[in-house]
Amino acid sequence: MSLVIPLLLATFLFCVGVYGLIARRNAVLVLISVELMLNAVNINLVAFQNLLFPAEAAASGQLFALFIIGVAAAEVGVGLAIVFNLFRNRATVDVDRVDAMRW
Amino acid sequence: MESVLALAWLVPVLPLASAAVVAATGKRLPWGGAEVGILSVGAALALSAAIAWETFTNPGETLERAFAWSPLGGGFVLELGMLVDGLTAMMFLLVTLVSLMVHVYSRGYMEGEARFTYYYAMLSLFTFSMLLLVISNNTLQAVVGWELVGLCSFLLIGFYWEEKSNQDAANKAFLTTKFGDVGLIVGVIVLSAGMLGLSDTPFNFGETIDAAVSGELATGTIVLGMLLIFVGCISKSGQMPLHVWLPDAMAGPTPVSALIHAATMVTAGVFLLARLFPVLAQSALVMGVIAVVGILTLFFGGLLALVQDDIKKILAYSTISQLGYMVAAIGVGGYTASIFHLFTHGFFKALLFLGAGSLIHAVHSNDISAMGGLRRPMPVTFWTFTIGSLALAGFPMTAGFFSKDEILVSGDLWALNGFATGTYVYWVGIAAAFVTTFYMARAWFLIFTGEHRGAPHAADAHGGHGADHDAQADAHADAHHAAPNESGRWMLVPLVVLAVLSLTAGLIGSPFLQDEPNFEAWTATEVIEGTTYPFLAEYAAGAGVVAAEKGPSAKILHGPPTWHLDLLGIVLAAFAGAVLLAWRLYGKGLPDEDPTLRIGPLSRALVAKYGFDAAGYRYVVVPVRDRLSAWATRVSNDVIDGVVGGTGAAAKRLAGVTYATVDQGIIDGGVNGAAFSAAWWSARLRRIQSGDVQRYAGALVAGVVLLVLAFVAIR
Repeated sequence: MSLVIPLLLATFLFCVGVYGLIARRNAVLVLISVELMLNAVNINLVAFQNLLFPAEAAASGQLFALFIIGVAAAEVGVGLAIVFNLFRNRATVDVDRVDAMRW
Repeated sequence: MESVLALAWLVPVLPLASAAVVAATGKRLPWGGAEVGILSVGAALALSAAIAWETFTNPGETLERAFAWSPLGGGFVLELGMLVDGLTAMMFLLVTLVSLMVHVYSRGYMEGEARFTYYYAMLSLFTFSMLLLVISNNTLQAVVGWELVGLCSFLLIGFYWEEKSNQDAANKAFLTTKFGDVGLIVGVIVLSAGMLGLSDTPFNFGETIDAAVSGELATGTIVLGMLLIFVGCISKSGQMPLHVWLPDAMAGPTPVSALIHAATMVTAGVFLLARLFPVLAQSALVMGVIAVVGILTLFFGGLLALVQDDIKKILAYSTISQLGYMVAAIGVGGYTASIFHLFTHGFFKALLFLGAGSLIHAVHSNDISAMGGLRRPMPVTFWTFTIGSLALAGFPMTAGFFSKDEILVSGDLWALNGFATGTYVYWVGIAAAFVTTFYMARAWFLIFTGEHRGAPHAADAHGGHGADHDAQADAHADAHHAAPNESGRWMLVPLVVLAVLSLTAGLIGSPFLQDEPNFEAWTATEVIEGTTYPFLAEYAAGAGVVAAEKGPSAKILHGPPTWHLDLLGIVLAAFAGAVLLAWRLYGKGLPDEDPTLRIGPLSRALVAKYGFDAAGYRYVVVPVRDRLSAWATRVSNDVIDGVVGGTGAAAKRLAGVTYATVDQGIIDGGVNGAAFSAAWWSARLRRIQSGDVQRYAGALVAGVVLLVLAFVAIR
């Protein structure tokens, strides 16, 4: 398999993630966009490992992807907790209306 | 061994601490501060006694310690130090002992006084000042102590400042002694200027003496410097013609007079001459001048006491006369004799003044014509006063006898060297001893024998005589004519102690103590022992006198005292003659007209005090007051004020210009500009922080894209 296919897939996912991060108003969707970007990176890592260095026994690309999945889970936990509290206090999850930390 | 001497700095510090404590807390203490003064001076006395014993039993033991408090550069160091030798130890003992007696005595004498605490603080400060002068190892520190002594005497002489006459007396004492102090300071500067190239510490006593003895110091410097310093001694030690302040100083409380006359003030001049004796012994001229001044003072000062009716003034003039003895002794090479007389005179003169205070306390008058018959009601005062009078008159076996005879013998030895001043000291000294005995006998007869006359003019006895303003006098105004009573125990104990010392203090310098340690070995410093008079050989060769050829008299020390039966006979005859004469004239009570007032022109001269006061008023006070001060006022108002005002205006203008340009323009402009630009920029830059998280994320992504593009472009 050519390396281009997974890279294109990863690029597409990343761009969708960036778009969602910047354009979405819903805080939960913003979090999901972050997850998309992280997984695009994971695809890159796994693809490079498997297609460029298949002989390497340590398989550090996959290993790194596993770490990122773990860290992402933790990040989503923290992020959702913030969103819950936000909703409880403001009855909204619209990030445009959460701009109290400004000049 | 040196442990005791090393503690010598405590001796002046204790009275100083006492003065500070009394001044700060005295009014809250049960005895108004008297207990602090007595205890600390008592401690100083105990320490002085230990130091005196140490130096007395080890003659020649010396300790000098100093630290530089001002390294000015150019080989010029000002020291603060102490020099402890026999002379210092002797002065310590005298000053602290007399001061303690005065402290104790004042507890009784000044009781009920309004400024009791102030009085005690000043008393302790006075003692400190004198001890600072005595302990110093350099002339500059001695000058500091000397001036402090002058200041304290001014404050205490003017203690009853409510009366104008007392203020005048204090001013007179201060200004007269200041006049001499100018001489002293210039003399010190001259000596130190001569020392500049020779030493890092040009004021040091020891080095000055060494340089003078070894001949490194130019003769002109020595003569000029010592004569100028002697001017200071003339004023401080009450020598003619600057003695005029001393009788007026009687305006102070009587215990202060005792302190001034016995220990802390007038002895300073003699002490300084003794300290610098090896320097002045280099010049026959200096010694001659000192001897002449001393001889004139000892005789004419004594004569003045003849016509005085104020007991304190009689004693004041006797002090002038006795100081004349000491100064004359310095002038005829009687170093030991002079300071020995200083030592014994301190005790019996303090005794006489304190006794006089006791009498004044009892009769509320200074006037001896208001006393009479006080022997029976005041037995302790009577006996102690008698002992003091005998010692002052030089009655055999009293302290004054041994020391005064030493002075006469010194004069005799000096005459053997071919100097006429020695002969004068001998014969004038004997004549003055006759006069001394006569006026003391006159006072004694008028005070103690006959009937109590009371004060016929008691009302004006206080102001009229510039007399001691007795605190009790007002309170006990009714008691004026009551029978006088003996004083209290606080006043009698010092009298008895001083009376015992007046009888016995002479023994340490008497022929009974031929071997060391005796007074001569005690107070002779190492330099003095080795010093001879350089001019003696020259002078003797010119005059053809044999006695001076390398004989023992060429040395400063005369050796232990011996008996002089011829002198003893003369002195006894003079004493007997004077007492007999006084008894004939005054033995039957106060004559209608005092015989001392009936000797024609002599009486007139004495009553006018030789015209010194009048001349001083006419030629010093009046011109200064009427011309000099008017002129000085004009100079002050026109010239100095003009200069000061002009300088001030110019400075103000300069300051205005500086304010407008430098302060307002540059400094404030810079500061305000910085603040305004910060505000302007922050007003714009703060919009970046919008609070919109997604805008931050967009900026982040844009930044990454830019960085990647830049990276690729560089590749």
